[in-house]
Amino acid sequence: MDTAELFPPIDLDWQNKSRKRYAAAVLGGDADRIPVDPMMLSHSTVACGHTIRDFYEKPKLGAHCLAYIQQLYDLLPVTKYYFAHPWMPELGIRLKFMDYTPPVPENVVVVEPEDVDLLEVPDSEEIKKGFTFTRLTEAYDYIREKLPQMFVPISPCPEPEGSGAGLAGLEQFLMWTITDMDLALKLVRKYTDTAVSGAEALAKRYGMALLTTGSVLANSDIMPPETIDKVAADNLEYLVKSAFTRGAGPQVFYHFCGNHENDYHLFINKIIYSPLTIVHMGYKGREVFPAGELKEAFGDKATIMPSVDTKRFIVPNPRAIYDEAARQIQDGRDSPKGFILGTTCEVPPFSPPGNLLALVRAAKDHGTYGTW
Amino acid sequence: MEYVFSDAVKEVLGKRGLKEDDIKAVIDYAEGSNDKITDGAKNIAKKEIGDLTVYAVYAVDGGNAVVESGYAHKMKVLDIVLDSSDAEGWTYAKNGAQVRKGHANLTYMGATRSGPALVEPTSGEAWFEEYLAASALAAAEGLFEAKRA
Repeated sequence: MDTAELFPPIDLDWQNKSRKRYAAAVLGGDADRIPVDPMMLSHSTVACGHTIRDFYEKPKLGAHCLAYIQQLYDLLPVTKYYFAHPWMPELGIRLKFMDYTPPVPENVVVVEPEDVDLLEVPDSEEIKKGFTFTRLTEAYDYIREKLPQMFVPISPCPEPEGSGAGLAGLEQFLMWTITDMDLALKLVRKYTDTAVSGAEALAKRYGMALLTTGSVLANSDIMPPETIDKVAADNLEYLVKSAFTRGAGPQVFYHFCGNHENDYHLFINKIIYSPLTIVHMGYKGREVFPAGELKEAFGDKATIMPSVDTKRFIVPNPRAIYDEAARQIQDGRDSPKGFILGTTCEVPPFSPPGNLLALVRAAKDHGTYGTW
Repeated sequence: MEYVFSDAVKEVLGKRGLKEDDIKAVIDYAEGSNDKITDGAKNIAKKEIGDLTVYAVYAVDGGNAVVESGYAHKMKVLDIVLDSSDAEGWTYAKNGAQVRKGHANLTYMGATRSGPALVEPTSGEAWFEEYLAASALAAAEGLFEAKRA
């Protein structure tokens, strides 16, 4: 059976309403309430009766499940199909599909320092033959054909420093950040240039490519601020400017995952804010990053996306989610360039639906425009 | 002043819907007013022409203005929202001040958003570079138009 035959049609009245809601948060204008984006990936396939593995192994199915479940919970008007470790197979990493997690790398490709120089960055033509481009375009071509109103091409590079580290193995990379920073930076730059080739190829195919990037490994629990400044902040500026130069953008989604208590300030003046930029910050210490502080730091430059703690989504306590969401909304909803309610990271695949509905309920109760 | 447009530059201008006369007008204005930024060899100047802000990238060689590129955006440049201490090697010819990397607000179809720019805080002036204006800003303008439709 063709994938599209598994699903009833999307409710276009819903989609249009959701589209206006999202546009209002990013571009200004009128809408009913703030939008909610729990960064859903494989929860969508699980919620449709499939598996986590299916999301990654079957891009068309994953993309259609995303669209369908966005509608169920009244979330985003677009599919946001992407996956972890993009562009790493193009540099020699083998990804293994797993039953209960995203695909995981099986090998490293940099063992000795000299191996960094041997890595060959593919250009935008060469990268079209690789794992990442073929899987992303399988999903995006499908969405463009079957669900055109929900189509948005994404060029993922979620953690340039973490993916660079993955080429050599985490321990070795972290050691290099102490003993040979230039080598660590060269490795990250090789990965980043590969991701830029990918962004260029996607932009050429679709006319644009939303950049999703940020910093995950480089966080306050793992690295000192001076290291994060070099391996993450400086490199993000390079990534986005290079990708724009080669046709990607104009949308940028910055996902700063993990604890950024001691380093978030490094990014404020270094990252590039396009007119369509969303900044998301996970934690400050062990707590969610406060919406009020996110607004103060980034609110005059970009749409902010404060969060509810992802850990709460596996606990059968939707009230706790509702209460935390309400606090975050109240503290950040008047951010001058818009507010989206999020979660600190990808919503867990086996989250009870009641927990996701609590997010949306809080957005309705505390995020309705004109009531504050 | 004589204007030199290579065939490659003419092709780029044509693809962007710009006329050679637009670029000449920008250069005429910049050379007459000193309202341009320069790195000593290359100049970037801008001028509002109709609904567009048109930019010329050019060098002055004797009596010739050698045009390297031209581009434009529909978004109106507003105030500077962020400036870094990083110098980019550019100087604002009008006041001699160093130009910095930064961000400026842009407004279009009732919405105000930021974009990366070269900025000079004393004068409040900002210039958007070709890498941004030619693709990302143009695409953003299209999305603004579509989402507000």
